[in-house]
Amino acid sequence: MKLRLIPYFVKQAFQNVRKNRLVHIVGISTMIISLLIFGTFLLLFYNLDNWIHGWGNSFSMSIYLQEEMDPGTKKELLELIRNFPGAKIEKIISKEQAYKDLLRALGKDAIVLKGLPRNPLPASIEVVFEPVNGERPDPWPIKAKLETFRGVQEVQYSEEWLNRFKGLMKVFRLTGFIIGGLLSLGVLFIVTNTIKLTLYSREEEIAIMKLVGATDWFVKIPFLIEGTFQGMVSGFISLLVLYSGYALLSAKKAEILGLAILDFVFVPAPYFLTIFLVSAGLGLVGGFIALGRFFKI
Amino acid sequence: MIQLFHLFKNFGPNVALQDINLRIRKGDFVFVTGPSGAGKTTLMRLMFGAEKPTSGNILINGINLNRIRRQKLDLLRRKVGFVFQDFKLLTGRTIFENVALALEVAGERPSYIRKKAHLALRSVGLAKREQSYPLQLSGGEQQRVAIARAIVNDPLVLLADEPTGNLDPELTKDIMLLFRTIHMKGTTVVVATHSRNLLEETAQKQIILNRGRLVGNK
Repeated sequence: MKLRLIPYFVKQAFQNVRKNRLVHIVGISTMIISLLIFGTFLLLFYNLDNWIHGWGNSFSMSIYLQEEMDPGTKKELLELIRNFPGAKIEKIISKEQAYKDLLRALGKDAIVLKGLPRNPLPASIEVVFEPVNGERPDPWPIKAKLETFRGVQEVQYSEEWLNRFKGLMKVFRLTGFIIGGLLSLGVLFIVTNTIKLTLYSREEEIAIMKLVGATDWFVKIPFLIEGTFQGMVSGFISLLVLYSGYALLSAKKAEILGLAILDFVFVPAPYFLTIFLVSAGLGLVGGFIALGRFFKI
Repeated sequence: MIQLFHLFKNFGPNVALQDINLRIRKGDFVFVTGPSGAGKTTLMRLMFGAEKPTSGNILINGINLNRIRRQKLDLLRRKVGFVFQDFKLLTGRTIFENVALALEVAGERPSYIRKKAHLALRSVGLAKREQSYPLQLSGGEQQRVAIARAIVNDPLVLLADEPTGNLDPELTKDIMLLFRTIHMKGTTVVVATHSRNLLEETAQKQIILNRGRLVGNK
């Protein structure tokens, strides 16, 4: 192919888009919606995965103490905890503090606690285990060791619900693949049909071009550019809308709740670049499919 | 320039051409004639590579159209100009753009395209109407544009299928004069026509077809 023909092909492609702008507007809009659905799903999945991954790596442990633990033993226990790799004591909650916290949490229902003869809540120590050299500490030996320590009533940590969450994420990921696959097929179908419509609208022109000696590729390339352009525009606009939606919602969340419990982040560059490239790629493939079915000149 | 050997063409059960053998030399001006349904258009389309023969061979400038690859056929078409009875012009493009199309598909440079398309339109007397659209022109003028497009690539052969079929006698004379001028410049010209008047006025070589058979070659 002669390189100087590239501007000609691009010009032809844009002329096609201009001549069939309504078809392209409809096609691009539908593609944007499809990509937005997928993008939203990806955004949610990415953040959920992030949170779970974060929680999974730096798990927390609640150590409940028996009432009669003397200060010396407590000091020993704290020393033992501090010696675990990656351990960081977050909070030491006394019986009284636990009671106050529960009262506050129950709000109007706190009256149920008023009838109790004594405070039933145990004192506790909240420990967070950070990864050591990128490795997550094994919680089971820590838990076992702490449970055998005199004066420790119970040790709880978030493993079980975390595992349940991880299972849920697997289902979520599979759902993502299925949705992504179906939407990709949908997008492909839209591009193919958009290009086919522009091909039909130029059927006579193509036939004449072939009669005066145009090669197949000479005719095909502008349509492939057109498909890729459609994919690129759809990808770009959908990412822009997705980001605007994300910015708007994350700002509202902060305003309403006053505090951000979890960091809600936008999909990182490799992800949105992938969405953009996949969108452009689907446009190109759609163009190929449309041309393959049409080209029997 | 053009050689046909035992050429047969069937459309389903209908026989369009039967055992055609002929030779058109370089620089010839030939009429393909015969009544409607004789197979003139089929023969022209076969020589242009728009149809494949059922059997037999067609050689254009030594190239066998049966053995040629699709892409090579596209390239060969740049050396074989074709003028259609219905002009086949793009109504959404100016006549300059219509003529330039034949050069654009050949990947020529824009400056060369401008020059050649202008010259081709000048040679058919339409240089001043370059920016007109086909529907703003008369039938004769539209056919001139089609001829300009067919010759803009300096083809070795010019094939014209009933080029005056839609034109009145005055315009027919003009168009035939144009073909003679093109022929004088060295192009092999083959014109299919059923017009007796046209044939009576000419002393050119004639290939006569009837019911798909070659019945005369004078």
